[in-house]
Amino acid sequence: MLRSRSAAVTQEVAAYCGIAIALVITLFPVYWIASNSFKYDIDIFAIPPEWYPVNPTLKHYRAAFIERPFLQYALNSLIIAVSTTAISVVLGTLAGYALARFQYPGRWRHQISFWILSTRMMPPIVTIIPLYVAFNYLNMLNTKPAVVIAYTAFNLPFATWMMKSYFQDLPVELEEAAMVDGDTRFGAFLRVALPLARPGLAATSIFCLIISWNEFLLALILTLTERSQTLPIGIAGRVTQYHTYWGEISAAGFFACIPIMIFAFIVQKHLVRGLSFGAVKG
Amino acid sequence: MTRALPTSTLSHRARGSGLEQWVERHLRILMLAPAMLVLLALTIFPSAYMFVAAVTRISPNPDLPWEFAGLQNFTRLLTDQQFHIGLRNTLVFTVSSVTIEFLLGLGLALLLDRYVRKLNVLKTLLMLPMMLPPVAVAITWKLIYEPQFGILNELMFNLGLPPQAWAGDARLAMLSLIIADVWQWTPFMFLLMLAGLASLPIEPYEAAAIDGASAWRQFRDLTLPFLKPVIAIALLLRIMDALRLFDLVFILTGGGPADRTKTLSLYIYQVAYRFADQSYAAAISLFVLFATVAFSTWFIKRMRLAE
Repeated sequence: MLRSRSAAVTQEVAAYCGIAIALVITLFPVYWIASNSFKYDIDIFAIPPEWYPVNPTLKHYRAAFIERPFLQYALNSLIIAVSTTAISVVLGTLAGYALARFQYPGRWRHQISFWILSTRMMPPIVTIIPLYVAFNYLNMLNTKPAVVIAYTAFNLPFATWMMKSYFQDLPVELEEAAMVDGDTRFGAFLRVALPLARPGLAATSIFCLIISWNEFLLALILTLTERSQTLPIGIAGRVTQYHTYWGEISAAGFFACIPIMIFAFIVQKHLVRGLSFGAVKG
Repeated sequence: MTRALPTSTLSHRARGSGLEQWVERHLRILMLAPAMLVLLALTIFPSAYMFVAAVTRISPNPDLPWEFAGLQNFTRLLTDQQFHIGLRNTLVFTVSSVTIEFLLGLGLALLLDRYVRKLNVLKTLLMLPMMLPPVAVAITWKLIYEPQFGILNELMFNLGLPPQAWAGDARLAMLSLIIADVWQWTPFMFLLMLAGLASLPIEPYEAAAIDGASAWRQFRDLTLPFLKPVIAIALLLRIMDALRLFDLVFILTGGGPADRTKTLSLYIYQVAYRFADQSYAAAISLFVLFATVAFSTWFIKRMRLAE
């Protein structure tokens, strides 16, 4: 009895140690980039390393956002992310609702849903060459709308599946009641289903914002100058073969993480569903 | 599972204008069409272009016509060393990183599920890495791996081990890439496993406890089978993502040193934009596309995920 109790205590202590180690490993790199963004160059290169900024400075933030066009990059990122999200969520909500609620002959519901999902499974590197050629032909390279269109291709299937999964969770009786009371089919969607799906709508929007804000490859190929380049592209541009601007990229990199950290806290309850395209309900 | 509503209004009263009634009658297709048209345009056109490009020889000079090349671009795949290196690197990376992420994520989820049920803040902190921009993650690890002043070599020094060039060392570059990816994506596995564990039924475990089944037997005969659908989805999504790795490798190693970390995505990018050979890039892309589709179809069938 005594032995098994002490074994249980040992086990518990080991478990907490494991969790603590995981937490340190998870958070240290984020702390490290933040900490370096507030150090002078000489302190970034210090050996042994300076564990926290002894002489904190905003020098690199000034360099990135005032002397270099990182403010413009951030603004481009924001405009592109918001536009992509708006288009994807509106179209995805309509389609998601149609797939969740209406009747279809045979296995069409399944087949349409699966086709929509399969478009998301295309590797971006496969889609991007034709899109590049098309935008080049249309004189749209290096414009924000081109990036928004490309991003929509990857966000729309996601938004559709997420909204479909949220609508499927709503009881259909409420819409039926509204229709018995004389509302139209579309009215029942607009005035009953949509308000009820608001948490799902918010979560889906935040996921789309995160995906677009983080995206790299498509923007790398479709943008050329600060007119349309996004934050990740701006950061990558300061890592050159000859010199890496550690302070500047730390500042810009940490800055790019801030909205994501806020969003992560907001959507944490929906995260599991978001990560699995609505397949696993958290 | 889902209850379908009739397409038209339940009410028999004729109501609203002609337009309203027309919208009402065609609501299903009206709601589906915008999304489907956008997706059709953004997938059919690229796929068609890729097929045509792959069987032609596109000159970098846009004024020259395309020449039919038959299967030349595909036979080139058989002899192209660079392609084989890219394929091997992609597979090595995918298998190692996804396996490690799965095992670590499952282990961590079992720990948290058992000992700290209600700590949502802890969960949010642990899942942070996967939300961060991959570019920010890449520069963070570049900073950690930096051979002269990087924190990892400081750690090596304190442990009495020789310093390494990490991402700059041909032997360690792939490992460095895998470590950074494991750091970012273990939380994904962890979170999905945790959700799966939270939805396990209690009764079978009570029965097993009465029968005196060991913890290991319970894990093997109850937990794993119950978790199987979640595990399958998590693995599928991670494998698809790992197969297309680009951002991390582009910034951390650029595919080097000596092509040790060159992935297929990176190679396609180089062929299309550095060597301006769109036709060959299209052929490699189609290979990647078919391999991905074939694998995921097989996997979904195998795991019976479709139901």
